[in-house]
Amino acid sequence: MSNRRQFIVQSIGGFAGFLAIDSIFARAARAAAASGAAAGAGRSLLVVNLQGGNDGLNTLVPFGDPQYYRVRPTINVAASDVVRLDSEIGLNPKLAPLKPLFDQQRMAILQGVHYPNPNLSHFRSTEIWQTAAPDKYVDTGWAGRYLDFAGRGTAPNLFAGVAVGPVLPKIMVADKTDVPTIGDLRGFRFNGTRDEQAEADKILGGDGYKYPFQSPYLSLVQDVENHAHAASTQLPHMVAGYKPAIEYPKTPFGQGLNLIAGIINANVGTKVFYISLGSFDTHVGQRAAQDRLLDQLATGISAFYQDLAAHKVDDRVLTMTFSEFGRRVEENANRGTDHGTAAPMFLFGGGVKGGLYGDHPSLTDLDYGNLKWHTDFRSVYATVLERWLGVGSQPVLGSQFSTMNFV
Amino acid sequence: MGHAVDRLVHFVPDSLPAQPQGDISYQFGPNADVMQRRRAYVLTGLWWVNRMLQTPNPLQEKMVYFWSNHFTSGIGQGGISPQMMVNQNNLFRSNALGDYARLTHEVSRDPAMLLYLNNNQNRAQLPNENYARELMELFSLGVGNYTEADIRESARAFTGWTVNRRFGETAVFNPRFHDDGSKTFLGRTGNFTGDDIVDIIMQQPATAKYMARKFARAFIYDDPEPELVNALADRFRAARYDVGVLMNVILRSNVFYSDRAYRAIVKTPLELVIGAHKSLGATRVEPAALAALDRMGQTPMRPPNVAGWPGGALWVNTGTLLMRVNYLNQLALAKSAAAAAGNTAMGDGATMMDDMASQQALRMPANVADPSQWVSGVKMDDPAGLTDRVLWMTVQGDATPQQRQTILSYVQTDSVGNKVSLSMENFEEKVRGAMSLAFALPAYQLS
Repeated sequence: MSNRRQFIVQSIGGFAGFLAIDSIFARAARAAAASGAAAGAGRSLLVVNLQGGNDGLNTLVPFGDPQYYRVRPTINVAASDVVRLDSEIGLNPKLAPLKPLFDQQRMAILQGVHYPNPNLSHFRSTEIWQTAAPDKYVDTGWAGRYLDFAGRGTAPNLFAGVAVGPVLPKIMVADKTDVPTIGDLRGFRFNGTRDEQAEADKILGGDGYKYPFQSPYLSLVQDVENHAHAASTQLPHMVAGYKPAIEYPKTPFGQGLNLIAGIINANVGTKVFYISLGSFDTHVGQRAAQDRLLDQLATGISAFYQDLAAHKVDDRVLTMTFSEFGRRVEENANRGTDHGTAAPMFLFGGGVKGGLYGDHPSLTDLDYGNLKWHTDFRSVYATVLERWLGVGSQPVLGSQFSTMNFV
Repeated sequence: MGHAVDRLVHFVPDSLPAQPQGDISYQFGPNADVMQRRRAYVLTGLWWVNRMLQTPNPLQEKMVYFWSNHFTSGIGQGGISPQMMVNQNNLFRSNALGDYARLTHEVSRDPAMLLYLNNNQNRAQLPNENYARELMELFSLGVGNYTEADIRESARAFTGWTVNRRFGETAVFNPRFHDDGSKTFLGRTGNFTGDDIVDIIMQQPATAKYMARKFARAFIYDDPEPELVNALADRFRAARYDVGVLMNVILRSNVFYSDRAYRAIVKTPLELVIGAHKSLGATRVEPAALAALDRMGQTPMRPPNVAGWPGGALWVNTGTLLMRVNYLNQLALAKSAAAAAGNTAMGDGATMMDDMASQQALRMPANVADPSQWVSGVKMDDPAGLTDRVLWMTVQGDATPQQRQTILSYVQTDSVGNKVSLSMENFEEKVRGAMSLAFALPAYQLS
């Protein structure tokens, strides 16, 4: 907060003054085009939030463990249906479209990931995953802090981060970087009448800085209005020429990935994308509900990487899933599962060293009915930051966490 | 000015409903009827935002909001029913300018609070420290004025307070779960109860200081000087935590009217939406407003965490500003506000209201007054007068010459830039459009 305030006071000229927008835009594109020089240059991260608490056990199925069938008598995935990854573990059949990525070593699965003192509230646990702060309340998200850190000393980029969806997720909240939230192309603009448009362009686009009074927030609001106006004006042009190589699923998730692919191909230096899919909160009738969502996930990600590969940019994009928690080991009386703890994370993309990482958590050695985690989620973040995005993780995460080998 | 403050702080009886209109009960648990629950949330949210709009005592509703963002609880979280939130909201209303110490006692046995901070699980045999911790960290003393041992000891004092769901969702004290042993808290030792803990907290100078800073941030500017905080804290303690006295001091102070306090606070989404309804002479807030509020980052009765909405710069980002401007535009154009909220719903938990609001009643037009009433008295042949009136109603004239010229030019030209005169045919449309453009001025986001 204080950082942001200092920034506001210092940024009298604004971080995207209306006259400078085109040149900033051009600079960002040039910087992105000159990739390869610095570590992490030209690379981006897509974070997929499996919102609502995705049941890990029916996603990555331990079909070799008889205990799985004892604790999940009615909602288990039959061993014969599992898409086998080895003799013990396999994928929910709805994830079959992802199997080619696994076979090409472009999909990594991290088992048993969570954080100390698990919180079983959706809100709080989501916040913990998004802020990377399990033990305190912080105002910024870890991706937002990364964008601030990576963007220090460089020209501001309108599209440094992009969140697909209706509201800015906490993961993207930053002190200095304003991340546009884009529901869809049509909705991401000022929706006034045609008659108003020219004047709205002037007002939102930065007409008139000289107020007869001082207010620390006035320049912030003006700047963000400029930013919103510029971004919403630029976006349709950026993605106008983009032709997906494959048809994306007609789901909001699939269409969101399509939009992200368009922005990736515009090559404007976007470092982090965010999209969410849900709700995975399957207290009742889990199989049908979860299967439908896993199908959306698999068909969407599969289309996304086929499309990126056709445009020869799949090596530049790392995708990482997370969910606020996994679910209770034992099924409940409603053919569903209640809130739990540890769960697997999935990574996709050219940079990934494919395979299974870590052991599957025990189904008998439990913590009040929940799986015990063994991998701290901040180790995963640290790995992505250091080995993929090429920055030190300590300034972003607050302390140093060990890194892994999945990328 | 003095008279205006008098009117603000002296509440008159109102005839507004003390309860949402309609059935807000629903079955808890896994078999909950999702539609019924959504309907209950909408009715409850609408009840509160309509009170904000319709009240003859605007300061009272501002205080209710202040308390709800101080003593936070979240509808539907930890089993908190809409009725519990309504009751808590009414508790804040009846103590709006009352005794902060007394309110803290009341909140410590408020059913929604007991559930929100898990005091229902706080038992002698297995204490849960959540309420004790937040009581000190966020509701009274502030960090640095107590130890972890103080938290453990005071948590024991609150054991036994829980919620009886079967009989009216009331708070009950169960002596079987209460730890009546000796506790040592902030240097004092005794067989303390929760009430004793609150009393001891109220004796600490840090409490008045923490609260003074919070009031200053909410009503003056959000980085108050230590001198200002100390002065307010002294008055607050001297007045034995009488919030009415403190608010009188604030509202009559030089600093409240100073240049530094001028447009120094970013409007909350609720302030923005309610304020715009008032400017447009609306008599009622429609369900679509809840969806829009959600997208602006403020679902009523659902703060992001126990620390409440942090406010300030965090209200302002590309997505929320576009939502703010678009919603106000729709309101001024009196179209369906659903169109303003028109993105595909794909959100995190916070978009709950959005789902439900988009399922019902969204096509209602905003219930605003006739545009000619917004600018009554402005003559048809006076585009400058119309522009200035609109600027006065929205930003009290705080527009730069360029901004004023832009709106005037809108009033005087058509969509392809040809000069037009105001006439019976275009007057209403131009008033709406000018209002919409004025809502988009950066100054409108600040209070």
